[in-house]
Amino acid sequence: MIDLYAITDHPGPALPDATPLRLVARGSLAGVCGAAGAEEAVTPEGLWRHERIVEDLMQNRDVLPVRYGTRFPDESAAGRVLEERGEQFAAALDRVRGAVELAVRVISGPGVPPPADDEATAVGAGEVGAGTAYLRARQREKAASSEAANVVHQPLSAVARDHVTGPGTLPGELLRAAYLVSADAVATFTATVGRLQVEHRGLLITCTGPWPAYSFAQR
Amino acid sequence: MSDKWLNRPDGMDSLAAALPSIDRALDRRINADPENLERGLAQLVLTIVELLRQLMERQALRRMDDGSLSDDEVERLGQTFMKLSERMRELREEFGLDEEDLNLNLGPLGNLL
Repeated sequence: MIDLYAITDHPGPALPDATPLRLVARGSLAGVCGAAGAEEAVTPEGLWRHERIVEDLMQNRDVLPVRYGTRFPDESAAGRVLEERGEQFAAALDRVRGAVELAVRVISGPGVPPPADDEATAVGAGEVGAGTAYLRARQREKAASSEAANVVHQPLSAVARDHVTGPGTLPGELLRAAYLVSADAVATFTATVGRLQVEHRGLLITCTGPWPAYSFAQR
Repeated sequence: MSDKWLNRPDGMDSLAAALPSIDRALDRRINADPENLERGLAQLVLTIVELLRQLMERQALRRMDDGSLSDDEVERLGQTFMKLSERMRELREEFGLDEEDLNLNLGPLGNLL
């Protein structure tokens, strides 16, 4: 079995020699492969190894990263996929050319007051019933989250070439987004994140990268 | 990995606190556990109920926004959703499930809820 790590232009610069890698070339594309380990299990170590290989490749060439765990029986099977879907891969590689992925998460920090407070006040004052107060609180909560997410997302998407947002999975997560940023705009992007963090103390804005453009490999 | 941080805010505890649940989610997806069938079923059923509850709540909020509900109706709906939310919390506790457990990972579509 072989692992497929990434798809790159062919011909390209020599492969990094830290890990034994092989090229499966078809036309103007090449898949970067390596012998798969015997273990079938998905492990954090395996994932990081995959990530390191793709990032090493990223240093001196454009890469279309391939998801961890993509395996083929042998090189000719990998080659067949490159032939069959070559056009699609070439278009995807063009889309991420010269760019990296930056990941941003916005989490409501301790500075944001829980909406439950005004709910209690409203009921206490006897203005509206508990049911109405509950629905109004939910409404405010939703409006506040989408506003906080937008305040961060708008300026960042203006710097980025493309973006994808996903639903948050952490408690209090308001925005989870990946931005495709041209290499020469990364500094501007991170400076913008820094500025937004200073302006919005009530939000925790995490930004990590540069990553291979995993979120933009398949559209 | 520390070199990957481009902005690391103070007070990352809330993120760190959520990490065990990510581990659990990974376990759950990879090792289906035949011993825990009942809990697994309860989890699936409650996930669907929670999905419906959230959908209905959103619909109620939308109708509240466009003013097509009377004050009485808003109050009644609000009471219902409040009680439903409370009941869901109790059921979750009964089966030892967290809020994050009531979700399905739909791959590229993200999470169900």
